[in-house]
Amino acid sequence: MKDSVNEAEFQINDYIRLDQMPHFLCPGCGHGIALRALLWAVHELGIDKDKLAVVSGIGCSGRLSAYVDANSFHTTHGRPLAFATGLALARPDLHVIVITGDGDSLAIGGNHLIHACRRNLNMTCMMLNNEIYGMTGGQVSPTTTSNRYTTTTPAGNTEPVFDACALATAAGAGFVGREVTMQVTGLKNLLRDAIAHDGFSFVEVISDCTEIYGRKNDLGVSPEMMLSQKAGMRPEAYRNTVDVPFKPNALECGMLAKNDRPEYGATYRAMVDRIRGKGA
Amino acid sequence: MAEKKNGPTNVLIVGVGGQGVIMVSKVLAMLCQNHGYEVKQSEVHGMAKRGGGVFSHVRFGSSVWSPTIPVGEADVLVALEWAEALRWINYMNPQTGTFIADTQKIVPPFACRVRDRGADAMYSEETPAEIMENVRAGYAMDATSIAEDLGNLKAANTVLLGALSNSLEFSVDAWLEVIRSFVPPKSIDINMEAFAKGREWAQAGPKRVDENAKGRGVSGRDLHKQVETKLEITEEWCKGCDICVKMCPERCLRLNDQLISELHKPDACTGCRMCEWLCPDFAIKITNTPIMEPAE
Repeated sequence: MKDSVNEAEFQINDYIRLDQMPHFLCPGCGHGIALRALLWAVHELGIDKDKLAVVSGIGCSGRLSAYVDANSFHTTHGRPLAFATGLALARPDLHVIVITGDGDSLAIGGNHLIHACRRNLNMTCMMLNNEIYGMTGGQVSPTTTSNRYTTTTPAGNTEPVFDACALATAAGAGFVGREVTMQVTGLKNLLRDAIAHDGFSFVEVISDCTEIYGRKNDLGVSPEMMLSQKAGMRPEAYRNTVDVPFKPNALECGMLAKNDRPEYGATYRAMVDRIRGKGA
Repeated sequence: MAEKKNGPTNVLIVGVGGQGVIMVSKVLAMLCQNHGYEVKQSEVHGMAKRGGGVFSHVRFGSSVWSPTIPVGEADVLVALEWAEALRWINYMNPQTGTFIADTQKIVPPFACRVRDRGADAMYSEETPAEIMENVRAGYAMDATSIAEDLGNLKAANTVLLGALSNSLEFSVDAWLEVIRSFVPPKSIDINMEAFAKGREWAQAGPKRVDENAKGRGVSGRDLHKQVETKLEITEEWCKGCDICVKMCPERCLRLNDQLISELHKPDACTGCRMCEWLCPDFAIKITNTPIMEPAE
């Protein structure tokens, strides 16, 4: 199946602000790979850059919107989904993509994520999960694995881990998926499906923080972290197999949930039209 | 072929995992058993996932002692794949043996050692005609194409069974009865046709080569156009994270003294784009230009 509209070869330099390069991310940070996959998906869908709006919050992930050569919106901590909701309601012609981090969307903006999933407004949320607050100095985040060291958990993290995809599915997001940065083309296809989906799409990207999280926990350099993340995933093809005892902690990746609930923007505009029609 | 005076009749069936070698040998073994012979069958199976060779020894006669066929003693060699046929040809009796082989080629992964795009696989170069010159009797037939024309490529093994039936003295009805009991119910008709086609093909002569055999198989050149790869590295953007160096399947990148990625084995680069896709700093750009082959 060939979904791509745009047959031209993808060139990343057409989609990034060359005057801002090189970007500020640390060596080996997986966020750059996720950004490439996102822009690749945008390219394959043939979305005009003027019709693309990238919204982001604060954190390492928040800076990514500044590197995209499109309409970009750098907002306050935890609130990119709130800003994006307003943007998507006011400008339904735009493709709204939210880039957010694990701390940004699950801790500080947790409520915004739940309600964005509940409303099912047409936008795409790419959550970059690197298990830590990297930019602010390496504090523990809701997705930090148990017993890992951070600056605020010097004796190891004792909190349980937040499963963001389960949260989004339960809250009613239209499209939920998860992928690792190592699988670039798979991630690109997943993001392409997510952007094409009419409704709220939530994609969790397992990224690596080498310099702060990996170094503190002795997880190796970024290639090793990426390979171990890939090994810790259960691909879509193996979801229904019975190898559970062999990979007890494997996270499912690929598309995890999809539903066809009514899209909020359309419902809202229909209501507006109805009331205006009645008033006139 | 009647039972020899001293010792059993030996049939060696070889092929690649998934082709139906075991099915062929089971049909033969059951048929012999129905006719009151003592049968011993020895096989290796389970290699399908690795694309490896599968073989099955079937020996039958009034009494059979060893389950395996000694080298040079097989009366009939049935090969479902061309390279496997050549691999086992030394098991065939040079004076009395019959050689039955499908000319289709299934290129094993380990024959694809040259990893350039569009590279040819290192498959055996002997043509069916060359091999048939040196065997006493046999058929090199394009069984897979025959089966495909009938509508199901998987019936190629039954086509070869039809050819084999010409070399062994069992009645056609006995063969068909056993085949009917082994194949899935909805594919009975096509297997009956395939058997008839194979037998018809073999009855035309004791030694036949399909001159028009396509030698079906996959040449790398058919799958991928050859390309010329250009790898550019924007040194100002590279942060020396080592991802491209570690992830390159050909190990053709390295970090230089300034911890900047560089291409140190340009000849090894196949243009797979792994480094380009995984570079978080967008520093690597690969351009694959198709090489235009000169028009003939």
